[in-house]
Order: sequence, then structure tokens, then C-alpha cells
Amino acid sequence: MARVREISSGRKPLKRAYVAMFLWFTGRAIQAAAKADNQVKSEFEALPENFTFSLGCLPDGPWMVVGKKNGVVKYLGGKLPEKQHVRLAIKNLDAGFLILSFQESTALATTRNRLVTDGEVPYALAVIRILDIVEVYLLPKIIASLAVKRYPKHWSVARKLKGRIAIYTRALLGL
Amino acid sequence: MLLPDYYEFCCRVKLIAGHDALEKIPELLAAKGARKPLIITDKGVAGAGLVDIVSRAAGKLDPNLVNDSVPPDSDLKVVHELAKLYQENACDALIAVGGGSVMDTAKGVNIVVSENATDLMAFSGVGALKRPLKPLVAVPTTAGTGSEVTQVAVIKDHDKHLKMAFGSYFLLPDIAILDSRMTLTMPPFITAMTGMDAMSHAVEACYCLQKNPLSDAHALAAVSLLYAYLPQAVNNPSDRDARLSMAIGACLAGMAFSNSMVGLVHNLGHATGSVCGVPHGLCMAILLPYGLEYNLHKREEAIAGLLLSMAGPHIYKETPEEQRAQKVISLIRKLNDDLHAKTGGRHARSLSEVKDRDGKPAVPREALPQIAQAALLDGASVYNPEETDYEDNLMVLEAAWEGKPLDRAKVKKG
Ligand SMILES: NC(=O)c1ccc[n+]([C@@H]2O[C@H](COP(=O)([O-])OP(=O)(O)OC[C@H]3O[C@@H](n4cnc5c(N)ncnc54)[C@H](O)[C@@H]3O)[C@@H](O)[C@H]2O)c1
Ligand SMILES: [Fe+2]
Repeated sequence: MARVREISSGRKPLKRAYVAMFLWFTGRAIQAAAKADNQVKSEFEALPENFTFSLGCLPDGPWMVVGKKNGVVKYLGGKLPEKQHVRLAIKNLDAGFLILSFQESTALATTRNRLVTDGEVPYALAVIRILDIVEVYLLPKIIASLAVKRYPKHWSVARKLKGRIAIYTRALLGL
Repeated sequence: MLLPDYYEFCCRVKLIAGHDALEKIPELLAAKGARKPLIITDKGVAGAGLVDIVSRAAGKLDPNLVNDSVPPDSDLKVVHELAKLYQENACDALIAVGGGSVMDTAKGVNIVVSENATDLMAFSGVGALKRPLKPLVAVPTTAGTGSEVTQVAVIKDHDKHLKMAFGSYFLLPDIAILDSRMTLTMPPFITAMTGMDAMSHAVEACYCLQKNPLSDAHALAAVSLLYAYLPQAVNNPSDRDARLSMAIGACLAGMAFSNSMVGLVHNLGHATGSVCGVPHGLCMAILLPYGLEYNLHKREEAIAGLLLSMAGPHIYKETPEEQRAQKVISLIRKLNDDLHAKTGGRHARSLSEVKDRDGKPAVPREALPQIAQAALLDGASVYNPEETDYEDNLMVLEAAWEGKPLDRAKVKKG
């Protein structure tokens, strides 16, 4: 018979490190995509000035925070701000590992109540769209198809190729 | 059927159904320790004499605590006014007598008075509520929204032209009373469209991402009741058994979708309602076939399975497997056609057929881009099996405007 075990996120250093690294890179990639991809750019333009959102794991992180100031989108590090517009919180580190290693799509994670969204719905939807686009850029098709509902076959080759190069370069260099 | 490896299902509403269910209200209120309920309704419902019936059955209601100011689709300001009335009179429970607009208003009022909130908006979205609210008794007078058993409330901000959704298990009413006397007065046109709202709940519940064996069981039972009794209730409004069957069908559909959630049909329907003021049920009736067509490539088996509940085992068996899903879609279109004929054309089948109060077209073609855009702000898209972006929305809306089947070759697939 299975016995109930206390689960503490602190005791999973590898998972924690993977999730933290992924979040760090995604944060920088979002900052990059806000410049390199027109759709991400216009999603951010429609959001209010000082818009801030975070993605991470309950109860104690890791987190990734992205915000918009003076019209510029920036990765703001891993410390949760006091106030933010949207928080996408994954129920625990294990679920975080599942989702962020793309064994489960964001949509499915939401429907399985592993991903909890706080904030006004229209804003949260914009954040989900932005994340989906960035995932398509960051991941090879075979993996991205698992992470999003519909892999955008209809994007032009130019958008995919140019976008991917630009976003990887910018994200690595932190531009 | 594929079993999801994780799901949640919750419907802890005490349900009383029958031709004389209202009589139970005093006892139920007493069990909740409630003495001074605020009764929320709208002018149409009160005008049809339904509050009087409730009053007679449930023991005299204090006329000062009966308020009929709810407008169609509910309203943010009215919610706050009613909350003030509740607080000034030190009420201790809510009774909603009406359709979805009234029940959702009562849910909004309940949030404000229970949380002592100054702004309902602070609680929009899912999961903002953290504790139980005041006792709420829901007495539906339409057989449609299922709001009496859902964890959802939809409230319109008429200034911003936006329908806001609230979701929480705490929004489930404590008690739902399904009494056939409450729907007998519903005119055929409203019966038809609210019935199609219920049908859209059952059908969307069967294909949306959060579906599970329990929501399926409720949804399929709902489909067979609604499909059998909707034409009957429209043909013969005073058929009490048809009315009660519709009430139970709508309630089952509500239990189903409250747990599986809804998708494209509601996504575009909420947007059409927000932008052009088209009644929710009518949007659902028009858009339902398109929701099925749009998602068919991802959910063929689930859609085909509906045929058994709608047409029975004989037709199900006679129809070749690969044609069953398509058959479901054509039966839904046929149902809409019949309802159109029986309501003297008031049950519109396409967005271009919808008329406003003055008989003018309610959805001008030029409004479609705005509706497609507004749909991007509505959370129902998350639960739809296939992705939907602005162009997808517009494509579906254009087909629904013309009333032509969706060209499925044009649906973008991953
Ligand atoms: N909470 C949920 O789960 C949920 C689900 C679907 C829809 N909704 C919302 O519900 C609202 C629509 O509710 P609805 O379709 O029940 O319509 P409604 O409550 O707006 O009522 C429609 C009209 O019918 C009249 N009416 C109602 N019952 C009557 C009766 N028995 N006899 C005579 N007239 C009667 C009303 O006065 C009103 O004029 C929309 O705002 C929609 O977004 C909520
Ligand atoms: Fe509905």
C-alpha cells in the first residue's frame, strides 16, 4: 500500500535546477520575441504600460517575471514583485517539470488544474498566446507540437527561420 | 473512451424537482438558518406571475425584499445596487427566480455581500473566491443556462461592452428548485433559444478539453432529454411533463459543462452577445453546428457518439461509422430549422437573420471583425480542443453569418 509522503520541493535539486534554467531562458526569449516577432510585439502593445506577469511553481518558486516599461519588454529576473497583472502558477515542482519539459501541453495542464491563472482573464489569455508563440520558436517542431494545441504549420518559412535565429541570439545575449 | 489521467468533478447542489417542488423552500431555508431572503428577479418573470406562484408556495415573501431590476445579461451596476439593498435590510439569504440573467446576478450579489467587496470585478476569473458564500436558492424559469448547478456566473459590463466570467466552486448555489410551473409561461421563442443554450452546453461538454467520464454521463443524458423534449415544449407550451423534462435536461447539461467547461461556441457567442447584444441562447443555437464542424477533426469519436443519444439505437446502427458525426451536425441544423418554422422565424438560423427590437438586422456584417477580436478576450477558448486565433474566429463568424456550413478544408490544422 502506498504511504503518504511529505513532498518538499527543496529536496529535488535537479528538477528545481531544470525548471529554473528553463524559466530563465524563456524569460529572456520573451524579451527577445517582443522585438523579433510582430505578433508578440502587438500582443504586448495592447497590454497596459507597466504590465507585469510571472510564471513559476508553487509554493516557493522558481519564478520568472516579465514586465513592460516605457513600451519596452524586459525579463525582470526570478523575484516575484508585490503587484502584478497575471500570475501563472504551476501547482508544484513536479507538475512544473512535466509542463516545462513539454510532456504536457499548457492547455491540458490548465484543464487538469495543474496550472492556475490569477489575474484578469483577457490579460491572462494574452500571456498564454505569447508563451505559445515563444515555445514554437524555442523548441523543435516535434516537441513544440506537444506543448501547443496546434503547431503553426501556416507560419511562413521566413517567419519561423528568421524568428528562431533572432530570438535565440537575442535570448542568449540577453538583448 | 479514453480516460483522462486526472480530472475533477463537483456538483454539490441540493436538487428538488417536480410539479410541486417550490413548496419545499421554507423548510430548506430554515435548515440553512435563513429567515430574511432577498428575492431577485426580472420584469418579464415577475410580469408572468411567477414570483406570485413562488410567494404562494413558499409562504409570503416580503414585497420590499422582492426586486425585479435585473436587465438581460445581468449588469455590474445592478449587482452593486442589489448588494446594497441586501445589506441595508440585513438579509441572510438569496432567492433567484429567473433565467440565467437573474441567477448570475444573484451569484454576483452573493460575492459582494459575502466578501464585503466594493468592486465585484476584483473577483473575476477563476479561483478568486476562497470561502463559502451566503445561502443561495436558485429557481430557474428558463430551461437553458443550467446556472442553478454551475460554478460559473456571466455578468455584463454594459459600459465596456464586455461579458465577464466568474468561476469558483463557491458559486454553486446551495439549492436548486426545478418546478414545471416556472417554465410553463415561457413563450415558444424563448423556450427554443434557451433550450438550444442547454443543448450547446451538453454538446460542448462532450468535446471540450476538460471532459471526463462523469461530465460525459451527464452530458449524454442531457442530450437525449433535450433533443426529445425541446420540440414538444415549443409545440405545446403547457405540456408539464415536457417542461419538467427540459428543466432536468438543462440541469444535467449544466452539471456537465460546469466541470468540462465550454469552447468555441460559447467563446464566439459571448463575444457576439457583448458586441451586438444578441441573446445568449440565440447565439448558441446559431453557432453550435459550427463548433462541431470546427473541432470535428480532433473530436470525431465523441461527436459521433452523440448520435446514439439523439436519434436512438436504430438510426445509430444504420448510419455508417464515418458518417455519424456529420449526421449529428445535420440533425442539429434540422432542429434549428424546425424551431425557426415553429417560432414564425424568430429563432434565427444565421447571424444575418437575427433582428433587434425594431426589426433591423442586429449583427451587421461589418461587426464581425470586432466580434472576432472580442472573442480573444474570453476564457472559453482555453478549453476548446482546437486552437482559435483572430482569423479562425472570423472565418467561423462569416460562415455563421451567411448560414452556410463551414468549409472544413479551410480549418487550420496543426
Ligand atoms: N452561469 C452559467 O452557467 C451560464 C450559462 C449559460 C449562460 N449564462 C448567461 O445567462 C444569461 C441568459 O439567461 P437566459 O437564457 O436564461 O435568459 P434571461 O434570463 O436573460 O431571460 C430571457 C427573457 O425571458 C424572460 N423569461 C424568463 N423566464 C420566463 C418565463 N418562465 N416566462 C416568461 N418569460 C420568461 C425574461 O424576463 C427575459 O426577458 C446570459 O447572460 C448568459 O451569458 C450563464
Ligand atoms: Fe450557455
